[in-house]
Amino acid sequence: MADAACTAFAGKTPPRTWSRALLLTLPIALWSLFMSLRGLMQPDRSLQIASALTAAFLIALFFMMMKTSSTYRWRRWFFVALGVLFPIEFIHNVMVLRGSMGIPIEEMIAGRTPFCFLPIPLLILPAALTKTLVFPGSILPGGGMAGSGMAAMVGLWLAITLVVGKGWCSYACFFGGIEEGMAALPKKAQWKKLDPRLRLVPWAVLLAMVLLSLALFEPAYCMWLCPFKAVSEYVAARNTVGLVQNGIFVVLFAALVIVLPLLTKKRTQCTFLCPFGAFQSIFNKTSVFDIKIDRTVCSPCVLCQKSCPTMSLTDDSIKKGETLMSCMKCGACVDACPKGAAVWHIRGTQVAVKPERARLMFLYVAWAMAAMFGGTIITQGLATILQRVI
Amino acid sequence: MKWPTSKLGYTAAGMTVLAAVLVPFLLMGLFTKGFTKLGLHVDEMYSGGPTVRTIQADGYTITIHKAVYPHLLQTEKPFVQLDWKPVSALPQHVSDAVDVDGDGQPDVRVSFDVPKDPKTPLRVDVDALNLRYQAMRNVGKPKFSELIVRLDDAILVRVPLTEH
Repeated sequence: MADAACTAFAGKTPPRTWSRALLLTLPIALWSLFMSLRGLMQPDRSLQIASALTAAFLIALFFMMMKTSSTYRWRRWFFVALGVLFPIEFIHNVMVLRGSMGIPIEEMIAGRTPFCFLPIPLLILPAALTKTLVFPGSILPGGGMAGSGMAAMVGLWLAITLVVGKGWCSYACFFGGIEEGMAALPKKAQWKKLDPRLRLVPWAVLLAMVLLSLALFEPAYCMWLCPFKAVSEYVAARNTVGLVQNGIFVVLFAALVIVLPLLTKKRTQCTFLCPFGAFQSIFNKTSVFDIKIDRTVCSPCVLCQKSCPTMSLTDDSIKKGETLMSCMKCGACVDACPKGAAVWHIRGTQVAVKPERARLMFLYVAWAMAAMFGGTIITQGLATILQRVI
Repeated sequence: MKWPTSKLGYTAAGMTVLAAVLVPFLLMGLFTKGFTKLGLHVDEMYSGGPTVRTIQADGYTITIHKAVYPHLLQTEKPFVQLDWKPVSALPQHVSDAVDVDGDGQPDVRVSFDVPKDPKTPLRVDVDALNLRYQAMRNVGKPKFSELIVRLDDAILVRVPLTEH
């Protein structure tokens, strides 16, 4: 029995005992409870219940990560919940405040357009050259759907990016969850051979959108290509151009967020379109955490490559023992590798020496951010549903 | 020779954990404040440009904004924004000759109805008394540079300028 266990977990961290897993979960449990305090102290009963449920959900998932030593499948529950609950809460708020998902021109003039993180790379050049933000929002809290304003979103993004880098796309992005959920549904991919050059498309989209935003002085991606406009809000169609824009949003959402993930088991919007994801890849170079392939153990079965939701592993990168810069540290490859050759790693340290320590340090950081940012969104989404039920 | 880089790596990882703890209490606020101190402003095509002066009318005011010009390939026309407020003090029909450039001569005559229901769409007529401004007939809100909208307690009219 002991031999069988050793073979099954060769090079991998075996499951932990309940007590040890609980002990390792304790810091995150305290953090999650602390993050949910604001909701728990509100007079609104739905919000209280939602805060408690969210904290329990996050703690339970982290506990399972500690207990089973696998990351991806537990993180996925959080990520899908985030992706599904965000539009529920957002659309509900928009309908209550405006009665429509279309942004009326009045709201844009008033600076009450909610600002998400996706246009951030598009704002940099116009801001640097003319000190102008080409987005119809407000810098400070602006009332209505403007929320906390652009400065707060940028501050939050900078702070989270500082600690998790490209991990943002796995632990903070509130859009990717829908396609990750879709990709999880089929047992096998129908389309297995995808041209690896498609991975470069987000960089081309990023370049095109940055230049277009500078030339047209508008957030070009939000105006023309964002698939998530279909489940958040869009420019109210006042003319044919508006209708075409909204048509593009719906087609892109249906294709890249629903159909292609079902066929390929990949996060196709993130892999083949998202310019923000491409931009965020730059911060993979500044992050202290990464994932390596231990070449001494690896027998290139390419299971890691197949499991990667963003095609961030190629034959060449596996030979080099590393992931591509688009790797978002979801942990799918580490979980999929039967030999434990794919490992969490801290830059500067030797590969496969104490990989579990690297995993733990990264997960504490990433899950703390997930609880702080994603946890709030999940709470709001749950509270919206509970308000309808209770 | 691996140990110094190894120590550096673990130190950096430890500092990252510390930074994560500080995100909600310090870093987020710090970055937010830093961003606001950059002196950036929202594109005036949306916000309408800074206020130049205010004209007092019968119980209400007309605020005149600085003219806004499009950047690079922006598809809008240059315009000037005029705000009538408060809406509650406006007559049922407004027809004001407005001196936009402050030279003592009226430049445009702006006419619109003020419906009681704030959700009723607005339409505006603008007669150009100065060639610098473009006339508009029965215009709603087709573009950022030519529109009439109700915003909280004000009615905003954007009059396009003739492009030279």
